[in-house]
Amino acid sequence: MHVSLRGITVDFGNLRAVDKVSLEANAGEIHAVVGENGAGKSTIMSVLYGSNTDFSGDILCNGKRVSWSSPRDAIKAGIGMVHQHFMLVGNLTVLENITLGNELINQFGFIKFNTIRANILNIISRYKIHIDLDELVDNLSVAQRQIVEIIKLLYRESMVLILDEPTAVLTPNEREIFFHSLRNFKAENKTIILITHKIDEVMDIADHVTVLRNGKLISSSHLNTTNKEKISQEIVGREIPRLNIKRGAYENKKILDVKDVIIKTNFNAKQAINFCIKKGEIIGIAGVSGNGQTELIETLIGIRRASDGEINLLDRNIINENTQTRRMMGISFVPQDRQRDGLALGASVWENACITKVNNKKFSWGSFLRKENMKAFSRSLIREFNIKVNGPDALVRTMSGGNMQKLVVARELSSQCPLIIIENPTWGIDIGSIAFIHQKIMDIKSAGVAILLVSNELDEITSLSDSAFVMYEGTLSKRISKGENFRELIGQHMLSGFNTYYSPTGISPDE
Amino acid sequence: MIEDFLDPEFFSSIARLTTPILLAALGGLICHRAGVFNIALEGFILLGAFMAVLGSYIGDSAFWGALSAILGGIFLALVFSEFHLRRRGDPIVVSIAINLLGLGLSTYLLRSIFDVSGVFSHPNIHKLPTINWPFLDSLWLLDLIFNDQSILFYLAILSVIAFHYFLKYHKIGLWIRVAGENQEALRSSGSNPVQVKFLALLICGIFCGLAGAQLSISNVGLFVENMSAGRGWIAVVVVLLCAGRPIPLFFLIILFGVVDSLSLRIQGLGLPQQITEMMPYIVSILVLVFASFRRFRFSSKTHL
Repeated sequence: MHVSLRGITVDFGNLRAVDKVSLEANAGEIHAVVGENGAGKSTIMSVLYGSNTDFSGDILCNGKRVSWSSPRDAIKAGIGMVHQHFMLVGNLTVLENITLGNELINQFGFIKFNTIRANILNIISRYKIHIDLDELVDNLSVAQRQIVEIIKLLYRESMVLILDEPTAVLTPNEREIFFHSLRNFKAENKTIILITHKIDEVMDIADHVTVLRNGKLISSSHLNTTNKEKISQEIVGREIPRLNIKRGAYENKKILDVKDVIIKTNFNAKQAINFCIKKGEIIGIAGVSGNGQTELIETLIGIRRASDGEINLLDRNIINENTQTRRMMGISFVPQDRQRDGLALGASVWENACITKVNNKKFSWGSFLRKENMKAFSRSLIREFNIKVNGPDALVRTMSGGNMQKLVVARELSSQCPLIIIENPTWGIDIGSIAFIHQKIMDIKSAGVAILLVSNELDEITSLSDSAFVMYEGTLSKRISKGENFRELIGQHMLSGFNTYYSPTGISPDE
Repeated sequence: MIEDFLDPEFFSSIARLTTPILLAALGGLICHRAGVFNIALEGFILLGAFMAVLGSYIGDSAFWGALSAILGGIFLALVFSEFHLRRRGDPIVVSIAINLLGLGLSTYLLRSIFDVSGVFSHPNIHKLPTINWPFLDSLWLLDLIFNDQSILFYLAILSVIAFHYFLKYHKIGLWIRVAGENQEALRSSGSNPVQVKFLALLICGIFCGLAGAQLSISNVGLFVENMSAGRGWIAVVVVLLCAGRPIPLFFLIILFGVVDSLSLRIQGLGLPQQITEMMPYIVSILVLVFASFRRFRFSSKTHL
């Protein structure tokens, strides 16, 4: 089905989220829509999907002007969408989730689950998908959940598939499988609209690419008339600074030494965790999220009790210390969820910037705060980290996600701790902020800080870390040193654990 | 001694004690599943009880009593929807307001319409009919428990089964479950979560109204100020305990009814009233402890 959006404008209050954007997507084509966070990608797709009806402009399907009053109309017309945050209900079975929104009912309103089941089994066998229809969605992996979302669209016989950041949660191998099915759908003459911020994926699979920036259409071109550099420049609006990496600078002094620590995870792993980080070294921990990384971090910073072993920070065992003591002894921490764990949203920038430093003589006098010093310090952080905010008195709630993350990173990096634990530092922020934060991490590495980088982004691990481990079902792989097969080895481990045999190159035993 | 306990009255009182709570809890269950935190059942029941007496007195029949009770419940459900769904008020605040409103309004109307305070009873108040099933007459225990009960008792039991299938297999039932679990998913599938929640509140109003009718015009045929006496709260607790599942809800309420009935007997043995009145609540604490213990074991098992 040919879809076109003409002159779409969406206003959120005074903010113009989308400004006269037009877009044409053909049947049998993969149309990528790229742009930074807040560029308006998801907003314009919510217009096409009928979940945003407050806009001006026209939607045309096969040349005919249409209008939706709710997603139900769009679904009926053959448009389906997989949201970035899946619209699945964890407590319901796969079958019930797929049924939702296209309930086949008898005259009393009861759902004909048997007919629906047969239909879905048909689809499943046609595309060779493996999934148990009676399993609760809560028990599925992220990749399986995505499959459920896709089956949902196939079951509704959608001809237009809108996919919002579909690969963000997938491992490299799962991504390949996913792309394979996208090509199948393309061959069946479906229209695929792929929202992404990963340019490599666009180059991999898209036929056509539309770039949005600040709600405006920047370019729309066939893939063979453009190139990677051009697209990334169009996305950011300027050149992205290249990462300035100085390597090999780390000294042979152990900052953190984790010995035989057993962490409690949801997996039944009883295997002890062992690793160490040296001065000026970045150790990456890769893995699909939910494999025990959170539990490992919580154990290191003292939120979760380890049942056994030693955690040595600068040759002192801190396993029985609480979080505050550990922080004072020299661990700083950038949590993934800045809104939940990193910041107090209702408090001001200066309060957030100094919350970890209230015991510092410079910032407090007995139990009283020295507000002016705190504000001055915050101002210097705002300047140094280029945080866009109206001064230290502004509420954190008013900042964008990227700037919030910069504030957290600024606070933790300025603590001058010998060890910093960083969890998914670039989760959900735009390319410009990502480059900035990566550079800051490299800078403190050069300054001799030991860094534990836990990330779901394979690229982040491979470009920043000196060596890496993979976490899989609660256990840690052997140390993987930077070398030829770095990326591939990590990718394989992330997917299938460590039982398969690999060539010894690239794997060195942990010291 | 056993005979003192388990006399016929013991068994026949179980249905009398549990029916109002069961009806109210069914209403609360639908709200719970739809994600509406409704702890105003107490107020709903109380106004329903008063309206039942009013309707029965004015309309000169039990039918008008039940209908008027339903309208009372719906009225409070509309108040709840207006302030919670439309004006986005906090459900706890709205619930507290409605509980106070139910108490105040029923007491005020009692005094201004009937010009009495405390208790209103009148021969003109018609009671709800009871049903006699001849085939039960010869079955001693079943006869005591199930026979000659108010029509609402049978409705309540049927509703338990109906709710079970409705939630599991009906389109609206599925929507209600999704509204409670992930309303964005419901919106994205093209339904309006607010409408679904509104419907749940209406159902809740109807069932709580009937619970009130059962209280005031089924056995006694009179209205007493604050006659709901905490039954709405027990219903709230039971709904939470059974996590909104109709069949476990039914058995839990029967358990409460048995204990409640038992506590009346024990009073006869000379135990202080204060102790015996605690019994249903002690049982609810025990059930809570047991449930959380099992949930803990269960959840740790699923992670293996």
